[in-house]
Amino acid sequence: MNSDQNSDKNGAKNSANFTIEVVAENALLLSWQAKISLTQHNKIIALQAIIVKQLGELILETVASYHCLMVYFNPQNNTSTQAIEKIKRIAKTHNAGLEKAHGEIPKVKSLNDDCIKIPVYYDTEQEWDLADVAKRCNMSIDNVIKQHSAEIYHGFALGFTPGFCYLASLPDSLHLPRKSSPRIKVPKGAVAIAEQQSAIYPIESPGGWHIIGQTPLPMYESKNSQFNATINVGQNVQFYAITKAEFIALQQGLQA
Amino acid sequence: MSQGYLEIISMNGQASIQDLGRLNAQHLGFSASGAADEFAFLSANKLINDKLAANDMSVELHNKQRHCATIEITLGQVSFEAKAACIISITGADCQAKINNVAVNHWQCYQLQAGDMLDFSMPKTGLHSYLAVLGGFTCQKAQQPWLGSYAQTINEMALGFTGEKLTVGSKLYFSAQTKGLTESASEKINKPKEANKPFKAPSQFYAQQNLTLRIMPSSLFLQMSSDQQQQFLSTEYIISPDSNRMGYRLSVSPAQILLTKSANEKILSEQLRSRCLLSMPVTYGMVQFPDNEQPIVLMKERQTMGGYPVLGTVMQTDLFRLSQMRPGEKVSFTLINHQQAQQQLIAFHQKFRP
Repeated sequence: MNSDQNSDKNGAKNSANFTIEVVAENALLLSWQAKISLTQHNKIIALQAIIVKQLGELILETVASYHCLMVYFNPQNNTSTQAIEKIKRIAKTHNAGLEKAHGEIPKVKSLNDDCIKIPVYYDTEQEWDLADVAKRCNMSIDNVIKQHSAEIYHGFALGFTPGFCYLASLPDSLHLPRKSSPRIKVPKGAVAIAEQQSAIYPIESPGGWHIIGQTPLPMYESKNSQFNATINVGQNVQFYAITKAEFIALQQGLQA
Repeated sequence: MSQGYLEIISMNGQASIQDLGRLNAQHLGFSASGAADEFAFLSANKLINDKLAANDMSVELHNKQRHCATIEITLGQVSFEAKAACIISITGADCQAKINNVAVNHWQCYQLQAGDMLDFSMPKTGLHSYLAVLGGFTCQKAQQPWLGSYAQTINEMALGFTGEKLTVGSKLYFSAQTKGLTESASEKINKPKEANKPFKAPSQFYAQQNLTLRIMPSSLFLQMSSDQQQQFLSTEYIISPDSNRMGYRLSVSPAQILLTKSANEKILSEQLRSRCLLSMPVTYGMVQFPDNEQPIVLMKERQTMGGYPVLGTVMQTDLFRLSQMRPGEKVSFTLINHQQAQQQLIAFHQKFRP
């Protein structure tokens, strides 16, 4: 009825393999396969950039996640049908270009210059979840730290609170469902995991993920009326362990 | 230019600065936020605009006034003192406003002088009242808008971009433009003493009893069996006390639970639910459907991302109505297509053009 198929139903592997759904008077939701895939995500954010560039003022806002792109348009100058047509045309035109520029990117296994390095005090003292995570994953605390910090993560979505970036993928051995009952308060800088994801809470907020440590690094900066998240969608991230003394020293250094 | 302000003298309800919201910062994780009831919000500014037009004020002022930030007062019980002359309008839930202890009508403009007192009491029905001022409010200090809006979002207050939470002693600045009005023009603005003349509030916009929310069905909803769709549409929901500017939580009445249990059938099958595990961007009015099958309608202060299955999106003009409903009141859902919803929203905004 109001779902618009833009590809064959068998999920053929072409970069325009998404559906467009009108989800509000001013919003279209583009959906790809519901999976965490770097290749697919790169195509999504490449299409997002092209849509923003080519449709200009027609577009109010775009928000990307693992497998979706929300496109807000101005309903005063465009019907959803017109907006869909324009997006389809762009996707079609850039299909080949998307394939070429954003093909399979090999997963890097060592730190490189493009990777944001996040110091983490993996905290066993406070009543967070590190010991519990180790127990539930049937491994030592040291092994949890080693596995969490060995991975190169990719920023798939910004949201929840300002500067909260969804990072994936967590090693299979650390997958746990969200806590059955979320905490009312998670501290600023908390490093947490849930299902296939990891993230850092930028401000004190409620949260249902398992907290395994804390970073002294701020997750956003703001000057001259600009807000900049430390980790943006599309960026790579790796965590590294620091001691409590280093955590305190860094925190004090950042506050000075 | 010197800045006039209203100061909060006493407060027992809630209040925040709101405009049409922060529409271009969701990709950073900022809530769109904005006035819960856009009908009352836009009406408040339009009332001032119409007064300006009646007095041949400049076109520039009109265009600026349309989306000016107002104070959203939830459940009344706030008193202000005017520290400078200003022109105000009051709309939304009828919280029996008084100027210098004289009862005044809602959906009306008034002129305040420095030293005048403005009191709001607990409304008998509805939730949010709007106080607009000529030229609009800024934050407590004469601040610039943050990412295109003055709207305050409770969960983002810790970031410090939109001033402090409003409380006793808060100063709400506005441009002191009232002195720019000619004497004859300002005389035409209603004074408190004229307030008791009959005025018909646009009550026909709001639901008189139960509200039927018109939703655009999601692709997930369209994949449900017609029995399951019918079960969702025939359920009467009660607004839960946990509802707020972020979301309206709806619970099923006990009688309805019995019906559902005897049918021994979930509205959303596990098979369809399992396709919705990854977080995705969410928008205003989306109806989330968690495991307990008690819908959550996302409102103005929603987060930008969500992980629950979505059955559809309530059309915006119905969300403005919903925002004025209280816990315990009843709602149900019916379908509308997106073309109709879009036409109605455009027609709605057309009414507020100068």
